[in-house]
Amino acid sequence: MASELLKGFRMLDLSDEKGALCGKIFADMGADVIKIEPPAGCSTRLIPPFLDAAADSDRSLYFLAYQAGKRSVTLNLEAADGRALLERLAAKSDFIVESFRIGYMDSIGLGYERLTAINPRLIHASITPFGDKGPGKHYKACDIVSWASGGPMFLMGEEGRPPLEMSQPQAGLHAGGEAAVASLIAHYPRQTSGRGQHIVVDMQACMVWTLMNEQAMPILHGDYIRRSGVDYVATGTRRRLIFACKDGYISTLLAGGMGVGTISMKGLIGWMAEKGVAADWMLEKDWATWTPGIFMKSTDTDYEEIADLEDRVTRLFATLTKREIYEQGRLRRILLAPVATAADIGADEQLKAREYFVPIVHENLGRTLTMPGAFAKFSVTPVGPAGRAPQLGEHNREVYGDLLGIEPARLAELRASGAI
Amino acid sequence: MGRFALEGIKVLDFSWVGVGPITTKYLADNGAEVIRIESAARPDVLRLAPPWKDARPGINTSQFFASFNTSKKSIALDLSKPRARELVLRLVPWADVVTESFTPKALRNWNLDYDNLIVHKPELIMLSTCMQGQTGPNALYPGYGNLMAALCGFYHIAGYGPEGAPCPPYGAYTDFIAPRLAACALLAALDYKRRTGRGQYIDMSQYEAALHNLAPAIVDYFATGRVLGPQGNRSERYAPHGAYRCADEDGQERWIALGVADDAEWGGMLAALGDPPADARFASAAARHANRAALDAFVAGLMRNREAGELTVALQGNGVAAYPVQNCVDIHHDANLEQFDFWHWLDHSEMGPTPYEGLQHRMSATPGELRSPAPLLGQHNDEIFSGMLGLSPGEIEQLKQDRVIF
Repeated sequence: MASELLKGFRMLDLSDEKGALCGKIFADMGADVIKIEPPAGCSTRLIPPFLDAAADSDRSLYFLAYQAGKRSVTLNLEAADGRALLERLAAKSDFIVESFRIGYMDSIGLGYERLTAINPRLIHASITPFGDKGPGKHYKACDIVSWASGGPMFLMGEEGRPPLEMSQPQAGLHAGGEAAVASLIAHYPRQTSGRGQHIVVDMQACMVWTLMNEQAMPILHGDYIRRSGVDYVATGTRRRLIFACKDGYISTLLAGGMGVGTISMKGLIGWMAEKGVAADWMLEKDWATWTPGIFMKSTDTDYEEIADLEDRVTRLFATLTKREIYEQGRLRRILLAPVATAADIGADEQLKAREYFVPIVHENLGRTLTMPGAFAKFSVTPVGPAGRAPQLGEHNREVYGDLLGIEPARLAELRASGAI
Repeated sequence: MGRFALEGIKVLDFSWVGVGPITTKYLADNGAEVIRIESAARPDVLRLAPPWKDARPGINTSQFFASFNTSKKSIALDLSKPRARELVLRLVPWADVVTESFTPKALRNWNLDYDNLIVHKPELIMLSTCMQGQTGPNALYPGYGNLMAALCGFYHIAGYGPEGAPCPPYGAYTDFIAPRLAACALLAALDYKRRTGRGQYIDMSQYEAALHNLAPAIVDYFATGRVLGPQGNRSERYAPHGAYRCADEDGQERWIALGVADDAEWGGMLAALGDPPADARFASAAARHANRAALDAFVAGLMRNREAGELTVALQGNGVAAYPVQNCVDIHHDANLEQFDFWHWLDHSEMGPTPYEGLQHRMSATPGELRSPAPLLGQHNDEIFSGMLGLSPGEIEQLKQDRVIF
């Protein structure tokens, strides 16, 4: 079921993994998103891991997840006939997103100047690893390189071991989301002015943005955080963020402070007291003012208290499961969360109650896949997955035939010449 | 077209902390008029969080708050007082969009929820974003983005391998995922309203939004029962792939991250490193994947005494994706970010010049801009209460005395 929200608008998606989420968001909101693939297929079809560990071009999990709800046509940009088809498609589209190397679209005569001459309404988003002006404008990036260039990698991992990235690609998703926002910002005035524009997204900058409050620390506080494994280290104080439990890990930050922090500490200490693991000082503590190592340097007493708390929390959690601890956390308003795996997420009651996951039939794979659902619940125009990911060139006939009005005989010629 | 893309759009922003303010920042930096409704009794917690100008805490001197609240106005009230809520309700007809990010019962208790607001503005667009959504057994879950990153599965995939504890990312990771989706939601809803005259209510669970960044793992789990876990910097796609230690600089360890996809890139890498002797264990992509541990040791040896910046130029010059692992000092001196005009030093009346992140995209016709530094708490009280609502100086003084506004 396609959403009404952006119904009637069309996006051409020529991007690789750096932009796949952009078109996915548009498809979820009801736009007609046409994935333009080279005849050999989009590179995202080859991103491991694969469904059933079967490396074929319809089973990349990345492809299945982020190309869902799009139509697929093949088009050879290296052939003149292919480029002519892209021009015709651009004339009938509202948005284009691509992530070619800087200058490639210009080099084949399909840069922004050319496309806007064909269709002044067109909004053209170019996603780049390092922007379009600096010394790295032609640099390549894979996910780990974006993590490194933007700063988050420096902060992840253990001291004495290499810095880490997350084990599922993320940078392209940040950049793709950014391209979607920027395209819709440009869309708003375009609908009255009739004028589109060109957008350049900088993936490195997108990763810097994930640093939260850390970017200005060296400048304003004269120091910066270093990777410290399961701990959070600030203003010279080391705090555990991760505690082992019976069947995995729990994340919590033991700190009081205003509002929820104090409620959380009181809830935790109350629970520890019931379990007989609280120390007397914990029952009398004024948690509202207890935030060592977060807002201020710690005293010797703070260090002793942190050590005692962490030791007792470790003992408490070791006897309980993630589910049991999360349940108590919710009841007692303790700020904690299980370090959830996909299995925990799949079993989560909240997501079930909100009917978040949706089944999408993949008749090409002979099965139904369960996908993340609506990224938000809209009262008038519900959004969500619009369908499965397409097979290569699955929509050549309907796009080139129905949309562009190309005759079957001509389509056969284009196919024979390698243009599609 | 106006100077800015979203000129004329008006937003009443009850949200606080991360996701809500980052969402409305997109609108504000692009010309929308965004008024933050702030509580003087319970200020935005980011106003109380570091870094502060000169490391000195102050309600108006947090860069954490400032970074997320450029181009906005602020009024300060005590919403627990009925007269404050009456004032806010008088602003609702002015607004195209209302945003909020409290736990679900807060606005309901104040009769400021969507059902109440549309009495004053039937075509209103309203976004509520809390941790787990407005409905369901965990709707009242009081968390923040760090915990959400654990709950969403991001902590689980952060680590050196299945053995050993997770090494979480710094910060509230999901706070940098959900706002893009929330901004898309608002912008599309604004366009829809212009076409149809219909506003709507948007309930964004930050949990449900952020899970989209792990969609492949979720699809896989439901289909096959496999649980994708942490794998360090190992990759099924690139070999070599990882962070490799380079020569120290100024007494600090330096690392370079790189990924080699195919034989052409492997050849490019060896050439950039002066063509070290060929090793049969690394002769093909399959061989490099099969001999990953030896490969890592080989590459680590090649990198160890080299300078990370020079290596990056050499490797990228030969078509290999590589970059130094940058810290928060490095990013402020990064030539690529500089050429993208990323950093902006805005002069704030209490903080003086401080560094703000710029936009992560650039638009050719109506570029957004950090139009002003973050507002002081209640900086625009007079402008809004006198200018927009027409209160007299005497009325404003009385409201201040009664601690309804601040």
